[in-house]
Amino acid sequence: MPFLKRRALLAGAAALPFLPRLARAASPLPAVAEKDAVIAFGHIGPVSDGGWSTTHHTGLLAAKKAYPAAKFLEVESIPVSADATRTFRQFVENGANMVFVSSEYGDLLSSVADDAPEVAFLECNGHHVSDNESWYYIQHWKVSYIIGVAAAKMSKSGKMGFVGSFPVPSVFGCANAFLLGARSVRPEATVQVILINSWFDPQAAAQAASALIQNGIDMIYTNLDDGSCLQVAAKAGIKCATWNTDMRAMGPDAYVTSLMLDWTQFYVDQIGARLAGRWAGDGHTLLPVGHGVDRDAWGRTVPPEVAAQADAVRTRIIGGWNPIQGEIRDATGKVRVPKGGSLDDIACYEWNWPVEGVVGLKAV
Amino acid sequence: MRGFVVQRVPSVSGRVRNAAYAVSALVAVFVAGLLLAALGLHPLALGGSVLKQSLGSRFGVQDLLLLASPLVMCGLSVSLMLRVGLWNIGADGQFYVGAACAAGVALFGPHGSPLLVQITMGLAAMAGGALWIAVPALARLLLGTSEIIATLLLNFVARLGLDWLVTGPWRDPHGMAAAQTARIPDPLPKLPRDWHLGGLHWGLAVVLGLAALLAAAFRFTRWGFELRICGANRDTAAYAGMNVRRRLFQAMLLGGAIAGLGGMLELSGTVHRLQSGLSNGYGYVGIIVAVLAASSPLGCVFTGLLMALVLNAGLVLQTQGVPSSAALALTGLILLFAAIGERLAHYRIVPTRPVAGAGGVA
Repeated sequence: MPFLKRRALLAGAAALPFLPRLARAASPLPAVAEKDAVIAFGHIGPVSDGGWSTTHHTGLLAAKKAYPAAKFLEVESIPVSADATRTFRQFVENGANMVFVSSEYGDLLSSVADDAPEVAFLECNGHHVSDNESWYYIQHWKVSYIIGVAAAKMSKSGKMGFVGSFPVPSVFGCANAFLLGARSVRPEATVQVILINSWFDPQAAAQAASALIQNGIDMIYTNLDDGSCLQVAAKAGIKCATWNTDMRAMGPDAYVTSLMLDWTQFYVDQIGARLAGRWAGDGHTLLPVGHGVDRDAWGRTVPPEVAAQADAVRTRIIGGWNPIQGEIRDATGKVRVPKGGSLDDIACYEWNWPVEGVVGLKAV
Repeated sequence: MRGFVVQRVPSVSGRVRNAAYAVSALVAVFVAGLLLAALGLHPLALGGSVLKQSLGSRFGVQDLLLLASPLVMCGLSVSLMLRVGLWNIGADGQFYVGAACAAGVALFGPHGSPLLVQITMGLAAMAGGALWIAVPALARLLLGTSEIIATLLLNFVARLGLDWLVTGPWRDPHGMAAAQTARIPDPLPKLPRDWHLGGLHWGLAVVLGLAALLAAAFRFTRWGFELRICGANRDTAAYAGMNVRRRLFQAMLLGGAIAGLGGMLELSGTVHRLQSGLSNGYGYVGIIVAVLAASSPLGCVFTGLLMALVLNAGLVLQTQGVPSSAALALTGLILLFAAIGERLAHYRIVPTRPVAGAGGVA
């Protein structure tokens, strides 16, 4: 069928602008005096979520302190809809020189960025780059691997659960690395995944955690924005590891650890570069373990020898060891990474298939 | 001695109603100003920046019209059903289904001339919206099931179905973003550049044309007259020889089709991808649009713009440092006052005539 072929070509052509371009020196945006600077932050959830959005808000507060003369704009709970475009355009209308958004908005952001070439745009967990747009994220899979080591040691049954949002790479990467870490010390470990179609929906998160517990799971890991899973785990007397912030107060005996986020240095550096006229688009940053992302201090019920074993892995990772090593099979049993091979950071960032032992996720 | 009594008036003229809205809007803005002042912000400066950014710049006006378009479409859908005395709480679901059908045509249908593609998308969206409301419509007409509950519940089904499509079979194979399809290849064209409304698309003309068409149909056609009578009193309508069931069914299907078309315009004109957040509660706002407009199609255009202004004000306030919950509360406040004003317009204060020996009590 000729039109099918044509459509495949069209789809390929349409996709080109969204692929990261080959390294090409984008020229830096001109310097801005601190007293004239307007820095805007757009959050996906409420800054009071105690998790994801709170960490970005904390980064903003640090930046405010570092650049007291600059003006800061902040909008929370921006839905991934045409509302987002309007909000980002409001930022530009308000004279923003630099816009940070804490989640992937895709076209909703880049359409505004393309109309405002003098404004710097940074998209967390994004993929699109241009002369005035870059993305940034964290090497979360490495921390998930460390957490997996401890979790598998603490789980009684080896049947573990994961509560995530959408079938997107940051969920694949997180659940996969968690299982690979677990299997490195306990080869029969499994991870059952439930997705709730939202990053912030405490009620749905709690329901998902309860469903996992009813299925006999005694260890939950979640990368959702809030701490509802931990609360459910605490009530049920099982263990839970979370993301974003230190959430141990919600269930001190259930708390294993958390994938801790700290954007302060990154934000302060990026704003500093923009003010000094050194900021250029067309790039990306994946913050490494120990610089923006790390495990939290272990929970009080984590045995010291388990903590020591997981921390030994952490030390190796900080030393440059890549834990995502072959042989890795996907959930259908196909070898995806041969023995002796490994997945590099960009491959892990774009992970879109479940490894063997991760149940409930389908390859995209 | 003279006294006063409060009398209820069964129906009020459009002029009284509009005056009531104007007064309640002013009171609402005043109360909102007091609240902002209590939050430690400067209400006049904030009000100024809301007006300046919503109406004072080309971008602002464009954004306002873009936001108003889906609100008016959902408002028209709800209005049409209110005409026959039925509530369409499901405009949101019909909007989603319409958008999904249009996306299906755009992504997987044959490529023809752009105009033909748009028309096919529109027809598919209308069919989808109508089909989505057909179930509650049949349940209402054959079994007497409340259309309020049935249409509302189908919203969740539509939204979850759409989530499944965009995270599953229709997910953008080349993109990494969370939950969306590929970009549609032939979006709705923008308005001509020399009109200086570069961000706007032809969907706006469709919205306005449809509102005018419905207004004319209600006013000048026998069909519109019958709809009104069916809404006012079904027994009378049946007695007058009208086929009440058929009219109700037509109104519901058409209402669903209009909301579906709204979804297609939003997809093809504004967002260009099918995604979970396509309708950000537009169908629910559409109910407010229709009620404020007293189910008048042309009124919907104005109340749709008003709602867009109110929602946009919430965004502007947030960029100025008002917390999102406070901005939401302020928009709610304005609607609350409008509703109170509309109710109060039904009452008038009448001085009692002094009656000899009766003490002036009416």
